[in-house]
Amino acid sequence: MAARHKSVETKFYEDRDRVLKALRNCDRRTFLKISAATMGAVMAKGLMPPHTFQLVEMANAAVEKGSSGVGASGSAPFRFAYISDSHLYERTLNQRFVRSIVKAVDDVNALDPQPDFVLYGGDLAQLGAPAQLEQGKQILSAVKAPVKMMVGEHDWFLDMGEKWQEMFGPPTYSFDWKGVHVVVLMSVYEKDFWTARKMTPEERMQTVAGLDNAVQSRFEVGEKQREWLKQDLAKVPSTTPIVVFSHSPLYKYYRNWNFWTDDADEVQAILKPYDKVTVIHGHTHQMLQNQIGNISFYGMLSTAWPWPYAPEGLPALTIQMNRADPFDQFDGCGDGQATARADGLVDTVYNLWDRNPVTVKADYLVSRGKTDQPPAPQFASY
Amino acid sequence: MSGRRLTVVVLIAAGIAICVGHAARATMPPPKPGPLAEPKSAHQTGFPEQLYKFGVPSDNPQTPAKVALGKALFFDARLSVDNTVSCANCHDPDKGFTDQLPTSMGVHAKFGQRNAPTILNSTFNIAQFWDGRRPTLEDQARDPILNPIEMGMPDQQTVVTKLGSIPEYQKQFNAVFGSAPNYDNLVKAIASYERTQIAFDSPFDRFIAGDEKALTAQQKRGWAIFNGQGRCMSCHGWNPTRPLFTDDRFHNIGVSAHSAKFVPHARQALALLSQAAGPEQIDRLAISTDISEVGRFLVSKQPHDIGAFRTMGLRNLFVTEPYFHDGSQATIWDTLDHYNKGGVQNPFLDGGIVPLGLSEQQEDDLAAFLMSLTSERDMGRAKTEYERQFKISRTTRPQRDTAAAMGLKGSKGPGFGGPFGDIGPGESAMQENPASLGGD
Amino acid sequence: MRAQLSLVTAALFGAVAAGAAAYLSRGYSGHIAYAQALPSHQVPSAKNGGVVVQLCDGVTTTEVKGLKPGEQMSHAQAMDVSRKLMAEWQRKHPERHWEMAQAESGGTPAGSAPSSTSENASGAGATGTSEVKSQQGDTYASFHDRDYMIWKAQTDAFVDYGNKVFHSAKLLGGTIGVSCDMCHPNASNTHPETYPKYQVQLQRVALLRDMIDWCIENPVKGKTLSADDPKLRALEAYILAQRNGVALAYGKH
Repeated sequence: MAARHKSVETKFYEDRDRVLKALRNCDRRTFLKISAATMGAVMAKGLMPPHTFQLVEMANAAVEKGSSGVGASGSAPFRFAYISDSHLYERTLNQRFVRSIVKAVDDVNALDPQPDFVLYGGDLAQLGAPAQLEQGKQILSAVKAPVKMMVGEHDWFLDMGEKWQEMFGPPTYSFDWKGVHVVVLMSVYEKDFWTARKMTPEERMQTVAGLDNAVQSRFEVGEKQREWLKQDLAKVPSTTPIVVFSHSPLYKYYRNWNFWTDDADEVQAILKPYDKVTVIHGHTHQMLQNQIGNISFYGMLSTAWPWPYAPEGLPALTIQMNRADPFDQFDGCGDGQATARADGLVDTVYNLWDRNPVTVKADYLVSRGKTDQPPAPQFASY
Repeated sequence: MSGRRLTVVVLIAAGIAICVGHAARATMPPPKPGPLAEPKSAHQTGFPEQLYKFGVPSDNPQTPAKVALGKALFFDARLSVDNTVSCANCHDPDKGFTDQLPTSMGVHAKFGQRNAPTILNSTFNIAQFWDGRRPTLEDQARDPILNPIEMGMPDQQTVVTKLGSIPEYQKQFNAVFGSAPNYDNLVKAIASYERTQIAFDSPFDRFIAGDEKALTAQQKRGWAIFNGQGRCMSCHGWNPTRPLFTDDRFHNIGVSAHSAKFVPHARQALALLSQAAGPEQIDRLAISTDISEVGRFLVSKQPHDIGAFRTMGLRNLFVTEPYFHDGSQATIWDTLDHYNKGGVQNPFLDGGIVPLGLSEQQEDDLAAFLMSLTSERDMGRAKTEYERQFKISRTTRPQRDTAAAMGLKGSKGPGFGGPFGDIGPGESAMQENPASLGGD
Repeated sequence: MRAQLSLVTAALFGAVAAGAAAYLSRGYSGHIAYAQALPSHQVPSAKNGGVVVQLCDGVTTTEVKGLKPGEQMSHAQAMDVSRKLMAEWQRKHPERHWEMAQAESGGTPAGSAPSSTSENASGAGATGTSEVKSQQGDTYASFHDRDYMIWKAQTDAFVDYGNKVFHSAKLLGGTIGVSCDMCHPNASNTHPETYPKYQVQLQRVALLRDMIDWCIENPVKGKTLSADDPKLRALEAYILAQRNGVALAYGKH
């Protein structure tokens, strides 16, 4: 065997793989005993499962059990994971963000069974620099499962996406996966605010990188891409589950911080005819959920840093996370997994680092909060 | 003598020496109570009265007679199965109420996995044991007596019967509790005695009380580093209401990760715990098997508690060496080096543990500051230990990793040889996994 | 507060009563000699058979019903009149202070020594000059628009400087490219109104500036700023300015 260099985390996760395999190979009785005992411990603490890596597997198994078989629309359940919003500087400047994305890569590689694919949710680089993007690509190439890339504004506005497209291909695309139609959007276009101000590319990028300046334009999908979306969905029957990956939320949460898509209403209208639509978006760096009409929205966690909740516009359905402890470099950050169920809806697990993972099920969103409500935080941000 | 015979003789002699050595340790007499075993006065500078009251249970108020009974029991080796081990064996007043060994030895010369914590100020602990599995001193006292590798009594009834057969205890238990000896009252008495072992009145306490000269300039620098660049304060928190240098929490600082068996232990813990583990089972596991490395996880069963242990207080460190839950660090400088380099990487490392970038001088200042947390009564012996450790630290620093401390490991330096050093995947790992990136 | 109100009321009572008396006597005696000419205000005629009393701003009026011209008001009536006039004036000028309005118009509230050389006791009425009056003593009685402009410019500049530092890793002295706004856009989640409070990261009771310094040392990875460093003070100013209007709630977590 060729000498392999592994990070310490990778080694430990390999050990953990062996642990889980061993557990699965034991007889049914012992397996049930383990799950019952640990489930019991979890319930006694008043936590909703799953909350350990073992329980993630069991919870996902339970979810799949409930939705076993192929659904009416012909979709088979599958799982995917995500890593998002890493905001990498070069490691010579900032190791913290590098350490975080590597931790996420290790998390994802340790999942057993492996997810079908891993979505990268955008903002791989902090300032769109080629070196930052290259570094990110290097790190992500260690992910075992196939990685689907999505672009964020921090990747785009230095050179208007030139380097990104060279490295990763077109920012907008779609594919079908086990009966689900998956669309990846570039939802962070901005109307030109830089030419009139005679900004250099660096100044433009710096402006876009700031959340709270009023100079940059609001995000949009744009007319051209909405047309593309219409055409793309034209071939898809309305019973087919749709999953949309987008960097901006595709609804209007808080305009001042660009937690916002200007043409959200138009995009939602294009998605309206479909029975089961789930949007998974980045950019907001917080636990965030919403339900608008037929569409369920899940915000992804960032690996780099968490954001507070906006002063207004927070969807009432959102299961909030407690405010982060700045002493802990990983707190409020993480990655996640999702299960696309046979019935076409999507459940998610927020794998918050240094905290208990939180499951948010589609049933919770679709029932407008009446069922499956996860626990509320004690000290949310304000 | 022929060469062969000589070898045999030497081997036999060595064998005897080893056996004698072990036997000598096992039969070392338990400590007798000296002046340092006496109950301590509450009139010490820095004594937190409000917090103390908080820690005395309503069903076990302090009385002199109860304390005296508890003291007698504390030093009584008859509480062990072979009459060789008392509480004081591992919690010796002359040794800062510890045994100054990496891990403790019980009956039949058996060693456990954990370093004996000090009884000093233990009444203020949010929970007892390194993994906090017992909430009070009373509950804590129940376990070592019954643990097969500590005091080895088979069950509570045996203990009670044995005590009941001793006339002096019959009398004292009756006088204090109004009944014959029973297990609950036994632990109440012991806990009562332990509550009298408080240790403040250090130079630091006097400095806080207003004596500017109580700390040296170096110690004041150390105090500033403690609050600032060292980031110590956030976990080893001090304030006048809770002047204990602990945040009452559990953190994985990477000590367990010194052992490569760390993750397999998590597997064992899960498997054993699934067999309806009760509190005694956990106690046994914590002390006697390798599973103790998973720490708080055994109690809370939460993933971020794997390898997490209670934040210990920092008073009287120079009479309670060695350090950390496994006693693995012989000097304070070793512990400082451990923190300075950002602990030892493991998947469950607390996010607050990061490289600190402290210089050698700054570490010396911190050590000097920690010396100032010594109570007056232990000052003499602490000074001797401080000198001893200082001398060792000039030449022997096994935990030191300056490159990691300065944050150079990840980008430069050897690490695991990949472009990310020790914090990322290696070159070949990346080449071997050509995951498809991009659309389709 | 109550003392101030009654003082104002008493002053107003004096002013209004004196003014009312002056106007009344003017209306009926025909003329009064003054050292300086006072501007004349048009007093509207009574609608309900009473006496109209007008405030010295020339606009606010109230009618005292049942009072016959020439009749003296009772104390209660006079108090009532002054209350009504003041309330009406405050309703029309919710953001103004009576003392400042008086100062600007060049007149002084009755009860303090008048600066003009008029012999009568009436302190009411604007002199109508554009002269900027300054006076010794009674600091807060003599501020003008120009002063307000200067103060606002200075305050805004200071807050702007804090804004700049808040958004710049370089100015903060950070070494890893992290600035405050990355975790605190618009200074959100800083809750300055909750200080002093026990700050768990510092494990002691802290003020806002202590936490700012801690954040600079830890997540931003710079060197702490000393208490008199203009950057630290400006940061504090910026953060406080972003939470304008939020009620103080010290100790809140």
